[in-house]
Amino acid sequence: MLNLTIDGKQVTAPKDSTIYDAARINGIKIPILCHDKKLKPFGACRMCLVEVEQMKGRQIPACTTPITEGMIVQTATPEIVKARELVLELLLLNHPLDCPVCDKGGDCDLQNLTYDYKVDSNRFLDSKFQHEIDYNNPLIERDMNRCVLCGKCVRICDEIVGFGALTFIDRGIETKIGCEFEKGLNCEFCGSCVSVCPVGSLLARPFKFKARFWSLTKQKSVCGYCGTGCNLTLGVKDNKVLTTIYDENQGFHNGQLCVRGRFGYQFINSEKRLTKPLVRKNGKLEESNWDEALEIIASRMKGAGAEVAAIATPRLTNEELLLFKKMMIMAGSNNYDHAAGYAHAALSDGFVRSFGTTAAPSTILDIQKSDLLLVIKTDSYETHPVIGFEINMAVKNKGVTLKILSDKQGKLSRLPDARTLVHSPGSEVAILNAMARVILDNKLADGSVTDVPGFANFEKALAGFAPEAIAEQCGLSAVDIKLLASSYARAEKALILFPVGQAYPGHNAALANAVANLAIIAGKLGKEGSGVLCLSEKNNSQGAVDMGFYAVDGALDALQIIDGCAAGSIKTLFIAGENPLVSYPDHAKIKAALDQTEFLIVSELFMTETAAMADVVLPVCSFAEKEGTVTATDRRVQHIKPAIKKIGQSRTDFEVFAALIDKLGGIAPATPASVFAEIAANVPGYADMSYSALGDEGVFAAVDVKPAFVVPQQTAAASPESGKLALVTGSALYHNGTLSQYGEGPMHVCPEGYIELSRADAAALKFAENDLLTVTSASGSMKLKARVTSRMPQGLVFAPYHFGANPVNQVWSGSPVTWVTVVK
Amino acid sequence: MNPITPIINGLRITLSHMFKKPITLQYPDERPKVAARFRGLHALNVSHNKAKCVACYLCPTVCPAKCITVEAGEDANHDKYAAKYEIDMLRCIFCGYCVEACPVDAIRMTGEFELANYRREDFVYSKERLLEKK
Ligand code: SF4
Ligand code: SF4
Ligand code: SF4
Ligand code: SF4
Ligand code: SF4
Ligand code: FES
Repeated sequence: MLNLTIDGKQVTAPKDSTIYDAARINGIKIPILCHDKKLKPFGACRMCLVEVEQMKGRQIPACTTPITEGMIVQTATPEIVKARELVLELLLLNHPLDCPVCDKGGDCDLQNLTYDYKVDSNRFLDSKFQHEIDYNNPLIERDMNRCVLCGKCVRICDEIVGFGALTFIDRGIETKIGCEFEKGLNCEFCGSCVSVCPVGSLLARPFKFKARFWSLTKQKSVCGYCGTGCNLTLGVKDNKVLTTIYDENQGFHNGQLCVRGRFGYQFINSEKRLTKPLVRKNGKLEESNWDEALEIIASRMKGAGAEVAAIATPRLTNEELLLFKKMMIMAGSNNYDHAAGYAHAALSDGFVRSFGTTAAPSTILDIQKSDLLLVIKTDSYETHPVIGFEINMAVKNKGVTLKILSDKQGKLSRLPDARTLVHSPGSEVAILNAMARVILDNKLADGSVTDVPGFANFEKALAGFAPEAIAEQCGLSAVDIKLLASSYARAEKALILFPVGQAYPGHNAALANAVANLAIIAGKLGKEGSGVLCLSEKNNSQGAVDMGFYAVDGALDALQIIDGCAAGSIKTLFIAGENPLVSYPDHAKIKAALDQTEFLIVSELFMTETAAMADVVLPVCSFAEKEGTVTATDRRVQHIKPAIKKIGQSRTDFEVFAALIDKLGGIAPATPASVFAEIAANVPGYADMSYSALGDEGVFAAVDVKPAFVVPQQTAAASPESGKLALVTGSALYHNGTLSQYGEGPMHVCPEGYIELSRADAAALKFAENDLLTVTSASGSMKLKARVTSRMPQGLVFAPYHFGANPVNQVWSGSPVTWVTVVK
Repeated sequence: MNPITPIINGLRITLSHMFKKPITLQYPDERPKVAARFRGLHALNVSHNKAKCVACYLCPTVCPAKCITVEAGEDANHDKYAAKYEIDMLRCIFCGYCVEACPVDAIRMTGEFELANYRREDFVYSKERLLEKK
């Protein structure tokens, strides 16, 4: 801590602060325009000029000047005020001043500063800027006439997003912000640049002219897409969510969002939302009412026993899932599951055996505190972009070493000094086991591993994972595996990250065990910045596991339920929010099974492909209309509150399950709050939680880790089929599950499925970008547009799974690697 | 004071009025001449054949009676215009704040004061009804 005097006030501040930071901490306001707390100091605008006595009263920028002991700073002398007025006059000289039609009006730093400093005339004369305005981009409108060249957009896209789409072009008065070769913007569309732009140069096009900033009600919430659990603020007017509002003080991510969180909110007020219960009559879904619909469902449920089954989406709140489970138990069935079963197996099966708990021991906050990150699959960026930002910042700002084990290159591979080992698809488990073997052989293992239960058997089993043999199977060199293993083991703090999800069937319990074994043997558990983090797919995937909403003790898991439907042993199936027809493997099988199901109930926001097959469809609410808690991937439990009133006649899933429990003769809890109290009393790790304790940013549920080694199974290497390509499925950056199809933003930039293939394969097979290719596997055939990229290795093709119009499960039957032929 | 004096004074005032021009107007046969600054029915100013209003939402924001509804739209040139502009005259208190707030001189108040109508809906003036008549 250093002592200094600011405006005559004795203050202290940490020694690495700038004058601006020191003032802010002590409640003294210095105006800024180009400074952002998340970005490196830049010093472009000179709004923050202050005088320092030790520097002979020269005016210096507060945002870039570090403090020194005994500094005497003046922040608002008449000379400084004059200097700031001059800065504003010069900025306004060429500025269009079209505040009445500028969407930034009311939230504009330039406007606010102009008002504060009462700059209402200009001593200079010059023409206004005449830059061309980019109206064509569907998500981001760029009007460089309003730009104040603060460089925040350029810097955030580089420093945090790591994309580098924007840059300064030209010099002097001609300077403007643009993309390479002055082309249109074609980037990740995370909207970070829009969020930080202090003026109306970069604006969210979907929100263009929709409302003025001051007329919006700001409702804090939690993103309803992926497991990162980003906090966001919804801008609401007339019961409509019109936009997301940036708040730099929100969450661990300081208000940063990805394209889905930032631009994917339109599903909430979509015209396509279901508003009335539907009941199938004479083969057609017809509008009905809640009484009738619930009565029919209750009569099917009552005493149905194991003939009824339930599949839920992990987008429901913890309270809803718990209530759903209770309802099923009242109906006499234990057959309930979520996320196709295998997508949560890493937690519900893998970690249970390795750690004795259903959660990973580390949190997102560990990423930047680590020394080495080992990321399994470059897809981790696409599945969890804001976690990707954390990785970017760790590598770029904190010098964290990044190692990637993946079947393809990806965005993360391009980070400075990142090392990506590209292995043959589906072989990550074997490689991780071989790494464990290297650590053991080279005496790099943690001193106390011999005490960990299961060590002897584990050591024995590792004999089968000689790095040389595995390297050959996996298309790597043994040296690479050894080097990776030793740098992992030698790093003081090392964190392993891997995504799980419905498109990643290979990321199962075995992978979780292999990762856990590696972390245990290298002694990487229980330290800050170290350990294991499993990135779960949906906003409440972790919560669904914590609530125990999955098959235990011989009950049927999601895929067995589908089989049961096909075999006729399951007669009533209640699907809450899931869309298996699109997101579960093997389209034909799922379709046949749902056809066979005597009675299908679907509660949904939209008339999805699955809902269209149902006998009763219940319109339910989105996250913006309900109250409850959700648990992010690192077990951050967060409280969501309704931002708008329910759409149409829709009800929350909570109300639906509560009503059904009543009809089944039980006593339903009155409010989500009472169920949360029950959760706090019963669920391990959630003890003593309450809405008030959760606050705005949530609380981590404690994870009690009891490490144990799990004996790895020998797996046969996937044997390539000659003349065929290996298809791997996954998530596209712009989407999450099937819900993002109803968010307009994601659909503007990624409207349909595609098949991504390497340049080498494209050249050999004479495919060009956007060619319509026929992809055929053992289970079916479909057409997909070609996307030729440099990141794919030869022989591998990738297809995202989100799209209902042409679902990839027509050719993908659920194995990690599907062998396909691709023809034009 | 002599009790008769106030009566005489009163009668004097009454008498003097008999020789003055009456203030009462024989409305509707006689029409008042409204002052230029009279605050009557609003009109949306027109320039280059379209409403000057750029849908900045300042008038609905400032309006104390909250009787102005604006919805902005984007025209073919990507400019902002009022796709919807409505004033509910039943709620308007004719304060003229909207006129004062308008940054582009798009709205003014006319001398029109005969706003009576038979149906409530008819008191809600749409953009078309508000556009100045030339
Ligand atoms: S950027 Fe700010 S100052 Fe410039 S026109 Fe927009 S609101 Fe007004
Ligand atoms: S939207 Fe994101 S990726 Fe695109 S330019 Fe802006 S910051 Fe960069
Ligand atoms: S576009 Fe916005 S953020 Fe970028 S330099 Fe200009 S004013 Fe700054
Ligand atoms: S989709 Fe995930 S990463 Fe993106 S904003 Fe939402 S929670 Fe964050
Ligand atoms: S203040 Fe003027 S320009 Fe703005 S909405 Fe009202 S009438 Fe239109
Ligand atoms: S805020 Fe310090 S120079 Fe811009």
